[in-house]
Amino acid sequence: MARFLLRRLVTSVVVLAGLAVVTFLMTQVLPGDPARTAAGRNATAEQVARARTELGLDRPLWEQFTGYLDRLLHGDLGVSVFTQRPVLDDIAAMLPSSVELVLAAMAINVVVAVPLGVYAAYRRGGPSDVAARLVALLGAAVPVFWLGLMLQLVFAAQLRLLPLTGQLAFGQDVPRITGMTSLDALLGGNPAAFGDALLHLVLPALTLAASFVAVVARTVRSSMITTLDSDYITLARATGASELRVVVRHGLRNAMVPASTILGMQLGWMLGSTVLVESIFGRTGIGAHAVAAVLQNDLYTVIGTVLVIGVVFVVANIAVDLVQLWLNPRLRRTRRRTGEPAVPALAGVKP
Amino acid sequence: MSAGAKEHAGARRRVLPRVPVVERAAVTVAVAMVLLAAVGPLIAPHDPYAVDLSRSLLPPSGDHWFGTDVSGRDVLSRVLSGARITLPATMIVIVTAALIGTVVGTVAALGGKVVDEVLMRVTDIGLSLPSIILALGLAAALGSGLRSAVIALSLTWWPGYARLVRTLVRDVKDAEYVDAARMLGVSRTRLVLRHILPNALNTLYVQTTLDVAAVMLVISGLSFVGVGAQVPSPEWGAMIAAAAGDLTGGWWAVAFPGLAIMLTAISFNLLGDWLRVRNDPTIREGAGR
Repeated sequence: MARFLLRRLVTSVVVLAGLAVVTFLMTQVLPGDPARTAAGRNATAEQVARARTELGLDRPLWEQFTGYLDRLLHGDLGVSVFTQRPVLDDIAAMLPSSVELVLAAMAINVVVAVPLGVYAAYRRGGPSDVAARLVALLGAAVPVFWLGLMLQLVFAAQLRLLPLTGQLAFGQDVPRITGMTSLDALLGGNPAAFGDALLHLVLPALTLAASFVAVVARTVRSSMITTLDSDYITLARATGASELRVVVRHGLRNAMVPASTILGMQLGWMLGSTVLVESIFGRTGIGAHAVAAVLQNDLYTVIGTVLVIGVVFVVANIAVDLVQLWLNPRLRRTRRRTGEPAVPALAGVKP
Repeated sequence: MSAGAKEHAGARRRVLPRVPVVERAAVTVAVAMVLLAAVGPLIAPHDPYAVDLSRSLLPPSGDHWFGTDVSGRDVLSRVLSGARITLPATMIVIVTAALIGTVVGTVAALGGKVVDEVLMRVTDIGLSLPSIILALGLAAALGSGLRSAVIALSLTWWPGYARLVRTLVRDVKDAEYVDAARMLGVSRTRLVLRHILPNALNTLYVQTTLDVAAVMLVISGLSFVGVGAQVPSPEWGAMIAAAAGDLTGGWWAVAFPGLAIMLTAISFNLLGDWLRVRNDPTIREGAGR
């Protein structure tokens, strides 16, 4: 087990180092003058020259890279040309709001996908199975940003059931404690604002969850089918356990092992997808921040976002491995040959 | 039905493949979309770029089936012309990524333990990040534009293919016919190009078909957030971005390009699924589907 964990940690460090190289190349080798990019589109010649010395662009590439790595390790991701604040501070201020959205989307994902997958497997070929296949088909094909706009059109603009954009209604105010609006409202003892914040979360979270539900439902369905056909399920039935108990306690519990891997990895993917969702709904967050930065040519902010999401993703993967070890005792005993994650086909997990 | 009759029916099916209804529709739409990419602009009823502010945001009608956008351009004509932008861009990404992935995967599979380890760790980096984020960063660094988006996405999409090709090549490299060819003194390059790759890659097209939808969604997503195709390009994602501001006054300018993306994506996914099942008898007979 220690070997398995160690190997995963080494892989994570390699991935992070690679990420550093890739982002370094983004700043240095790609076309365009990085000093000009750093100084901003409308910078004067002196500003560009100053940026060049500040960034050490007059030194050899290798020295520049070690300098870059050194700054990264000290949490220095550069200064945003737009806000004139350290990139990391901006991102840290934005991240909680995105995490709130991702957690809400994850809740929807689990609540919809798991029962759908279980029921589709239980009544194979039945209407729920067809529904699951339809959800999978649509979820894998719908452009998230378009879905967000359509949901806005129907539920906010036409039916007026839910708020169109923003995180709180006009006039509502919550103290900033965690940066997650709904949690802050709760901590600030304002139930009306809490309800309002939740209402504002519904459409963006649904939009974000849509493409992920399909993958989870499909995974739960197929692992549930394998599980339901196994001998211990027959045995459980033979002992006279109720059908619900057989399916949920004996079936689902085992079928959730592969699904939990995918759910864990989806946390990282969802954080990436906020790029397409947050700006539509006028939410603050790391995704909207990255999009704004792209449009403002604020390259350091864009790269900072890539780095932060990358780190979150790697940490989430380590957490998934730990959960796996806890859920699946067999992993602890067998020495894995390659140390690859329990679910190898990453390509199929991409939303 | 007796076992013999069943076998007979199965045999007949293999001679004349029976395409299920849904899949037949999918193939039709996928082929239609590819055709549209070729002739779309020719059959467009209006000039997709012609601005006419007096005809701004007209709802769908006999003259403008999909309505007009805020600048008075015909949405149907733009959706038709957009096929010529979005689909080729997607194909370029997939072909480039598959080429890079094939080279990396083959070298990893045949190059020995150290080379394999190094290359697989490099692909880990690519696989361990949401491609939209990596592509966003790369495209931003390259400067906005469809070309940047295509380059960025090609550079982030290949690791999946590298993994797949590595597995496929490892499966065939020790096959008897490869050994036989080697013993006959076939050169290493020829061995790889003529004996190993053609047999290893004959299932790669399934994955590439399945990837069309995913790549198309990322490309249109990049255009939507502003790093891909720029206005006034009728790229579907860029069209949605341009029309999003007038959502309540002109939903059609948002809805139809999105439906075009979705329809294309669904049909390519169904096509890919069907190819996969047809290719893999274990899925066909097993619990899948």
